[in-house]
Amino acid sequence: MMEHVNLALTEATRRVVFGIADFLPGLAALILAVIVSCLLAWIFSWIVRRSLRGVDFDERLDQWGFSALADWSPDKSPTLLVSRAVAWGIILMGFLVGLTALQAELASAMVARLFGYLPNLVVGLVVLAIGSVLARYLARGVLIGAVNLNLHSARLLSMGVKWLVLVLTAAMALDHLRIGGDIVKLAFAILFGGIVLALALAVGLGSKDLVTRSLEKQTREEHGKEVEEQFHHL
Amino acid sequence: MPEQAVLPAATQERIASLGAVDIVVGIPSYNNADTIAHVVRAAQSGLHVHFAGYRGLIVNSDGGSIDGTPEKVLDLPGEPEELLQLPYRVDPVERLSTPYHGVPGRASAIRTIFEIARATQAKACVLFDSDLQGVVPDWVKALVAPVIEDRADFVAAWHTRRKFDGTITSGILYPLTRALYGKRIRQPFGGELAVSPAYVERALTQSVWNSDLSRDGFDVWLTDFALVGGFRLAQARLGPREQQAREPGSDLAATLVQVLAPVFLEIERHVATWQKIRGSEAVPAFGSAPALSAETAEVDTAKMIEAFRFGQQNLQDVWGLVLTPATMVEMKKIARAAEMRMPDDVWARTVYDFALGYRLRVIARDHLLRAMTPLYLGWVASFVQETRQLGPEATEARIEKLCLAFEQLKPYLISRWRWPDRFNP
Repeated sequence: MMEHVNLALTEATRRVVFGIADFLPGLAALILAVIVSCLLAWIFSWIVRRSLRGVDFDERLDQWGFSALADWSPDKSPTLLVSRAVAWGIILMGFLVGLTALQAELASAMVARLFGYLPNLVVGLVVLAIGSVLARYLARGVLIGAVNLNLHSARLLSMGVKWLVLVLTAAMALDHLRIGGDIVKLAFAILFGGIVLALALAVGLGSKDLVTRSLEKQTREEHGKEVEEQFHHL
Repeated sequence: MPEQAVLPAATQERIASLGAVDIVVGIPSYNNADTIAHVVRAAQSGLHVHFAGYRGLIVNSDGGSIDGTPEKVLDLPGEPEELLQLPYRVDPVERLSTPYHGVPGRASAIRTIFEIARATQAKACVLFDSDLQGVVPDWVKALVAPVIEDRADFVAAWHTRRKFDGTITSGILYPLTRALYGKRIRQPFGGELAVSPAYVERALTQSVWNSDLSRDGFDVWLTDFALVGGFRLAQARLGPREQQAREPGSDLAATLVQVLAPVFLEIERHVATWQKIRGSEAVPAFGSAPALSAETAEVDTAKMIEAFRFGQQNLQDVWGLVLTPATMVEMKKIARAAEMRMPDDVWARTVYDFALGYRLRVIARDHLLRAMTPLYLGWVASFVQETRQLGPEATEARIEKLCLAFEQLKPYLISRWRWPDRFNP
């Protein structure tokens, strides 16, 4: 009886020890991979940071119309954002390499899922970037046009257009990322509708003088009493 | 790649049959049935009365009018060998938007006219707008005589304007062109002009005819080419100019875009030339018509001041991308002052800053020029208030003072142009 117990215990201990012995190299490899990747991440991050600062990346980005990116960056510096993204990417890759050494099947499944999701992530980011630029462009155009028309709700109109585009692009990006599902669509519809209504009210209330003037002008023209502007800029 | 022949074979044959011609009067047209006959008649009369010993040819280059403009020209009495009518090709895209001068594809029309002037070995080539109502035969003499008798290569029209008319010219185009290129052409980008065979020959060899400049602001190129090309310049005082209303008055911003975009483009193209020029010199003016008439255009400055102040409140973010911090502070002070006065140096720096902003593309170029509208209206209001009580000579002297401010501040433009990031006072 005792022999059997001893045998069972020895066998169990042997299995645990073998299990640990089997697991430890993988863990060591994981730790090593993470340490090496951290080191590489620091080196590459430094190189990227130096290179981008060398070409005035922050200023250039601002000139190209991506100044909104600075608001989302650490210390308002897109250079830091890019260098940190590079660093975290390398660390993530190192972790995946280590994980593969630890447990190949789990890591492979994770890598496959991650790479399968990557196109959605990239498209989502591209949609957001384009939306941000478009929102700024349209908002500025509307602001300048409305100011030239002397519309008192110029700023409101411009802001409304900007948020319309941003909300639309955010909803599109989330849809691509498959986050939120119907809730996003519903929230988007409510927000979009709300902004359109707010804009309609703003235009209606803000430009009533303009509409009145326009109607008065039309009436005068109809009665042949229109006095032509005597002044020529050109 | 060799360019396609501008003149069709039939036209070339017709020109060959005409032989040599002394004066070519070119009239580009597009839907100008109401005015074209008057312009052609004035040109015919001008040639017969003032240049009886010369052989003249009137060329009407039409861009596919649908209102019977070509028929109106053909119905006019006169010798058939004195009149040549031929269409020019207008790009469908150009036809969609009517430029401020009213003739889409004007560059193609002018090219055709220049080709005919070259082919007929004309001693002078004159261009008239086809929507003029007050054109008189004497204009032909005033424009052609400096070319034929005084060997000028480029004669710009100088029309008599009412006191406050043409403020874009008085406040931006004239001071800017004069300061940059060092020649005092009072109305640098007018519709009428005369050129010599040397000018025509060199102009036809340029690569501008199918460029962006040929679509908008070709008049700007014609003048700037004369300014930087070392040609002999002259001005012809023609008297008042009556024109069919073609300025898109309701959209001043669009007018500014159409007028200033080619001017700023040309500044970019000729940077090597204008950076070397200091001061300015007079350009001989022929004729005695005054620059400004005693008549004063009615101007509602209250609306302009309101537009300027509203712009100052709402467009600070946009202006801040173009103007220097010092100019921004000045604009704030001007907007808050009880009396609207924009100092000449502030206005000159503003125009220069916008030229630089256009070059650097700090924002979309169309937005940039449209954002200048309230600033321009502010300057007009200031100018009108300051000169309302002045006579024509004193008003012209005031414009001269503004021009001197542009000239004195030219080093500012050069510094900002060379070091836009470092030189930002």
